[in-house]
Amino acid sequence: MPEVSKMKKPDVKVVLLGDMNVGKTSLLHRYTERKFKDTISTVGGAFFLKQWGPYNISIWDTAGREQFHGLGSMYCRGAAAVILTYDVTNWQSLAELEERFLSLTDTANHDCIYAVVGNKADLTDPKAQLSQVSDMASEDRSDYEESIEPQVLSACPTPPASPASLSGITLHKQVTLEDAVALYGRILRYKGLEEKSSLPAEKMCFETSAKTGYNVDTLFEALFDLVLPSILRKRNENQESPTVDLEECRGGSSNKRARSACC
Amino acid sequence: MERDNHQEGEAQGVKICDLPRESNPPADALATSLSLLGSHMFPDPVERNNSITVNKEEPADSLPDGTAEEESLDAEPHSNQVTELETEDTESTECQNNVSTQPSDMGTEDAATDNDRSDSGEFVVTMLAKAKLEEQGIGVKGRSSPLLEAGTQEIPAFMSHRDEDVTADSWRQHRKHVFVLSEAGKPIYSRYGSEEALSSTMGVMMALVSFVQSGDNIIRSVYSDGHTVVFLQKGPLVLVCVSSSRQTEQQLRGELLYVYYQIISMLTQASISRIFEHKKNYDLRRLLAGSEKILDGLLNLVDSDPSFLLAAVHCLPIASSLRDALSQILQKAITPNLVFSILIAKNQLLTIVQEKTVIEDTRLEPADVHLLLNLIGASSAFQAGEIWTPICLPLFNPDCYFYAYISYLDPPECTVCLLLLSTDKEAFYAVAECKKKIEEAMMAQNALSLIAKVQSYSVSQVGVSDLRHFMYKPFDVPDNYRQLTQFTSPEMEAPYSSEEEKMRLLDLYRYMHSRIHSTSRPLKLIYHVAERETLLAWVTSKFELYTCFSPLVTKSCAITAITKLLRWIKKEEDRLFIRYPPKYSTTPNPSKSSRGGKSDQQDSTDNGFLSLL
Repeated sequence: MPEVSKMKKPDVKVVLLGDMNVGKTSLLHRYTERKFKDTISTVGGAFFLKQWGPYNISIWDTAGREQFHGLGSMYCRGAAAVILTYDVTNWQSLAELEERFLSLTDTANHDCIYAVVGNKADLTDPKAQLSQVSDMASEDRSDYEESIEPQVLSACPTPPASPASLSGITLHKQVTLEDAVALYGRILRYKGLEEKSSLPAEKMCFETSAKTGYNVDTLFEALFDLVLPSILRKRNENQESPTVDLEECRGGSSNKRARSACC
Repeated sequence: MERDNHQEGEAQGVKICDLPRESNPPADALATSLSLLGSHMFPDPVERNNSITVNKEEPADSLPDGTAEEESLDAEPHSNQVTELETEDTESTECQNNVSTQPSDMGTEDAATDNDRSDSGEFVVTMLAKAKLEEQGIGVKGRSSPLLEAGTQEIPAFMSHRDEDVTADSWRQHRKHVFVLSEAGKPIYSRYGSEEALSSTMGVMMALVSFVQSGDNIIRSVYSDGHTVVFLQKGPLVLVCVSSSRQTEQQLRGELLYVYYQIISMLTQASISRIFEHKKNYDLRRLLAGSEKILDGLLNLVDSDPSFLLAAVHCLPIASSLRDALSQILQKAITPNLVFSILIAKNQLLTIVQEKTVIEDTRLEPADVHLLLNLIGASSAFQAGEIWTPICLPLFNPDCYFYAYISYLDPPECTVCLLLLSTDKEAFYAVAECKKKIEEAMMAQNALSLIAKVQSYSVSQVGVSDLRHFMYKPFDVPDNYRQLTQFTSPEMEAPYSSEEEKMRLLDLYRYMHSRIHSTSRPLKLIYHVAERETLLAWVTSKFELYTCFSPLVTKSCAITAITKLLRWIKKEEDRLFIRYPPKYSTTPNPSKSSRGGKSDQQDSTDNGFLSLL
C-alpha cells in the first residue's frame, strides 16, 4: 500500500470563497457525498482531499463569516483555483465577492484560475430544479419534476435550504449570469491578466444548485481538468509548496517515523 | 389622584437593597421601566401580586447577595401598584393609552412630588415609553385573539427558535432566556426569537442598565414572583438572563459568564474592545453571524450538563492502561508550537496532553475545555473534513488565538474526535501530519475499537442499594496539581431516564449546590428530603459530593452508603480520572508559547484579525 499513502499528499489546492450562507459547504458536500443536507455555519476552514485520477486535490471549504475573514489569505496561499461563490437570489453576495474576497486571493498562485459560481439556481431557474444526479430520484420532489415540465417554480416556494436565506428568500433572481461574467472580467483586470490569454468567461462562470445537484459536477470537474496543467508543472518543479516547506523544516525523530510510514 | 397612588405604590414595590436612601434614583422611573420590561417578558394575568425587587450593588464592594435575595423572597407582595401597571400593559389597547399619556403626566408629577429627580431619569422614562410604543406596534400586528391563543402556542417543528414569534405566550414561557446586547443597546444575541424583533425589549434592558449606572450603581438582578432577571456587564457587552428556573442569581450569572466566554472564544476580548472603542454602535452580529448555533448549543449544554455547574470536566472512564496508551500516542505526534492534544469520545474527555512549559505557566481551566467541547459538538454537522480554525481560550488568555485542528478519527460514525491546538497560524499541514501519525498508531494498537466499547458506568456498579446517582468532584487527585478539575458521575438511570426527570434531578442538584456555595451562609453538609428522593451533599477540603438516594433511605443508611461510595471511588480512581497528565515539549524557545511570551505571540497570531478592523 505505499502507493496509497503517497497519494495522500495534495498535489493542488482549490479554495471555495464567498459570503456566508451562499452554500459553499453544500456545494462541496453535494459533490463529495452526492447529497444535500442542512449544514451549519463553517468554522474557520475545512480541508478535504479529493482523488482525481492519479492526483490528489485539496479543497478548502472556508467560512464565509466575517469573523474568519482574516484567515482567508492563509487558506488561499498557493491555490491553483479559487471558486468565488455567490447566491443568485442575493445581489449583495456578488458584491461581497469583489469587496471582501477578491483581495484574499492575492496569495494564490500567479496562474491561479478563478470560477464565479452562482449557487441556489434552483430557486430561480426551472431547469436547475431538474436534478442532474441519477441518485436524486429518492429525494424530494425530483421525481415529480422530472416527469412534468417544471413550471412549479413559484407555486411551491422552496423551503430555506441551508441556514441560508435569513437574508430574505425571494424567488426573484437578483444576479444574472451576465453580472457574473462582468465580475469575471473585473477579476481578470484586478489580477492584471489579459482577457485574450485567460480562460473565457463563459467557461468560468457557472450557475449551480447544491440542492438539486444542477451543474455541480460540471463545475468541479471542469475546474479539476483545468488545474491539471498546474499539477503537472508543480510536479516538475519538485513540489515547492508550503506543505513541503513546513515538513522540511521539521526536525527530530518524529519526522523519520513519518517518512518511513510514507514511503 | 390615581396617579399619586401610583407613585407611592411604586416606591414600595421596587426595593432597592443595600443602598443609602439618598442615592436612590427616582424609584417611580425605575418601576416604570421595570414594568415595561416586565410586561413583555413575563406578563402573568393570573398571578397579579408580583413583587419586583431590584438588586443593585455599589461598583466597589460586593454585597452579600444571599441576604438580599432572602429578603426579597420573604418580602410580602405589597406592591399592587406595580402589578397594576403590568396588567394594564398586557392589554395592548390600554397600554397604548397608558404610554401616550405618560409624558404629559410627567410634568405635573415632577412639580408635585419629586424634587431630586434628575433629567436623565425623565429621559429614560420617555425613552422607555417610546420603545414600548414601538414594541406594541409590532406586538399588535402579531397578536392573535385570546380565543386563538391556544393554537398559536405550539411552535411548528420546522421553525427554528430564531423564527419564534416574540409576542406569543410560548415565547414568554421559555424557562430561561438569554440576551446579549452592546452598550449602545444593539442586540447581539437572543436565545429565542430574532434579535431584530426584540430590539426594543433589549433597548429597555439597556435603559435599565444605564439608568442605574447613572446613579453610580450597577444593576445586578431583578426579582419577581416567577422570574429572576440577572444582568452581567462585561466590557462593552451586557448579558441578561431571564429565568424561571429557580436557580440562584449566582448560578445564573455563572451561566452568563459562560456565554460571554464563548463569544470571547470566537472573537477575543481584545478585538471586541477594539471594535467598540472604534465604533460604539457597531453591530457585533456581523462578526457573530453563523455562531448563534454555538451559543444555542452552549445554553442547552449549560442546562443539561452538570459540568458547568461544578466547573469541572467529566472524563470518560477507561482502563488506565488504555488511557496511558492513548496519551503516549498523542505524546509522540508533535510538531513545533503544538500546545494541547486532546482526544474526545462521545463528547467527553479521553485524554489531554499538554506542552510542558505552557502547563508550568498556567493551568487549563475546565471552562476553556467546556467551550472547546461545545464548539466541537456544535460544528459537527459536516464531519468529513479536517477543520482549521482560530479559537481563543478565554481563561487561558482572553486576547489571543490558538489555532485548532479538529478532525474525527472514525468517520462516518464521528464519535472520536482529535483536537490539536497550535499557536502557529500556518501550521495546518504540520498539525495534519500529527493527526496522520496518531491515526496510524491508533490503528496499530486497535485503539478505536477499544474506545468504541468504552461506556460510562452505572451506579449499580458501586454496589450500594438506595443510591440512585451521584456527582463527585475531588480537589486533590494525586499528581493532579495545577491540573484540570474533574468530576465523575454515573449515567442517569431510571427513574431519571426521561428528559423531564433528568432536568428535575439536575434542578435538585442545583439547589443543593446553591446552598453549599451560598455566599451568606455556606453549608458543609446537607441532608435534604425531597418529595421523591433524598439528597445528601457534602463538601470537605478534599472533595465535593452530591448524592441522590431513594426516598426511603434513613440518615444513617445514607452516611454508610457514602462511606462505601467513597471507598469505591478510591478503588476506581485510575479509571475514573485522568491521573497522570502527560506532557510533551514542542517549543525549542520557551517564550514562544508560554504566557511569558504573550506579547510577541499576540502580534503574530492576531495579525489576521486586525485586518477585520
